[in-house]
Amino acid sequence: MEKLGLNLSKELSEILLEVGALLMASGANSSRIRITIMRIAKAYGFNAELLITHRALMVSVSDDEHDLFQSSLKRTSPHGANFRMVSGISRMSWRIVDEDWNFEQIWGEINRLKSLPHYPRLIVLSTVALAGASFCRLFGGGPVEMLVAFVATFIGLFVRQEVTRRNFNGYLCIFFASLASCLISGASVKLNVGTEPEYAFATSVLYLIPGIPLINSLSDLLDGNIMNGIVRGTNGLIIAFAIAFGMLCSILIYNI
Amino acid sequence: MEWSVFFESWIWLGFASLGFAILFNVPLRTLWVIFLLGALGGTLKLVTMKMGGGIILGSFFGAMLVGFLSISAAHFRHAPPFVFAIPSVIPMVPGAFAYRTMLGIIKLTGDVDHATFTQLLDDTVTNGLKAFFVLMALALGVSAPMLLTRRESAKQIKVPLKIDGLIKK
Repeated sequence: MEKLGLNLSKELSEILLEVGALLMASGANSSRIRITIMRIAKAYGFNAELLITHRALMVSVSDDEHDLFQSSLKRTSPHGANFRMVSGISRMSWRIVDEDWNFEQIWGEINRLKSLPHYPRLIVLSTVALAGASFCRLFGGGPVEMLVAFVATFIGLFVRQEVTRRNFNGYLCIFFASLASCLISGASVKLNVGTEPEYAFATSVLYLIPGIPLINSLSDLLDGNIMNGIVRGTNGLIIAFAIAFGMLCSILIYNI
Repeated sequence: MEWSVFFESWIWLGFASLGFAILFNVPLRTLWVIFLLGALGGTLKLVTMKMGGGIILGSFFGAMLVGFLSISAAHFRHAPPFVFAIPSVIPMVPGAFAYRTMLGIIKLTGDVDHATFTQLLDDTVTNGLKAFFVLMALALGVSAPMLLTRRESAKQIKVPLKIDGLIKK
């Protein structure tokens, strides 16, 4: 009996850490991670205490009946937004509570969520480029500037995907993407294409803005997770620095 | 006032949110809701700014609208509200202010004369403060429904009866 309870809490803490690490890597904020993990632990009648940091998670699972205590630690993988994962895990956590799932079912669902496809590459590239063109329009650019912003965003995002696949440092990837976008939109400023080419130049890097780190940073700060908020905010600032550095390089190259 | 301008920007704001939604790999069923939320929130921001509310107040109202609508959306599209709210407010994130601040700081380190330095410092500080306060307004606005109802999960928040009836159908 004692052995069984130990195995149970060991396997549960493994699941909890896997879920937490996936949420952290997919761009959830700290309170969501905490709530989801608590919900799953409570469904099995365990108490869980959690330490959340940017690159590692620690969970202590305890059980009142057996006087068992299980602590474990897990590193989280590098971050990349994937809301299909967040949404899937949130639904799974409710189904665990409502339908009394066993551990195999949970592992099956986690593996299914991991294997879910992303959108086709061409669709991602073209919709994000369309978003870049939309930003350009909102800033006051005309059709020519929108076209420039579209092309610059398309190629910049393509560069970012390629360098990310070659496992460069994350900030360096953003620098390369920003440089690529600015070299294209900067050429239109240099050659004076259209009426207001500056708008295309300013909006061609907006797809890189660290929206998730910055919003999560502020929502963590509001929630009282000051440390996590500061860490995420610093991450966002370094990304902004990488974007600005790419812009600065192209400004120096074109001398504009 | 040129109100027809808002209809046009409505469409572009929607596309801007849609682009980020696809970049963040949201579930397919939530896409059109995000388009709608992004467009509505962004338009409210623009209207507030046109009325003279300033970018900070405008972003706050826009984000709050997105926050409240995302709770109803979460109920009838079955995904956490945050999946709807983040891509919808991303077009309002002061990205241009953030990188202009960085660009300003980098330029400040160069050899510039006193007058240019003061002008540059002025712009950089203004951009930086705007970026920070807009972000704060966005985060506060998006989490407003959770903070006001004092619930931990959107599932525990009752959506108004009319919408509830629509879901049941």
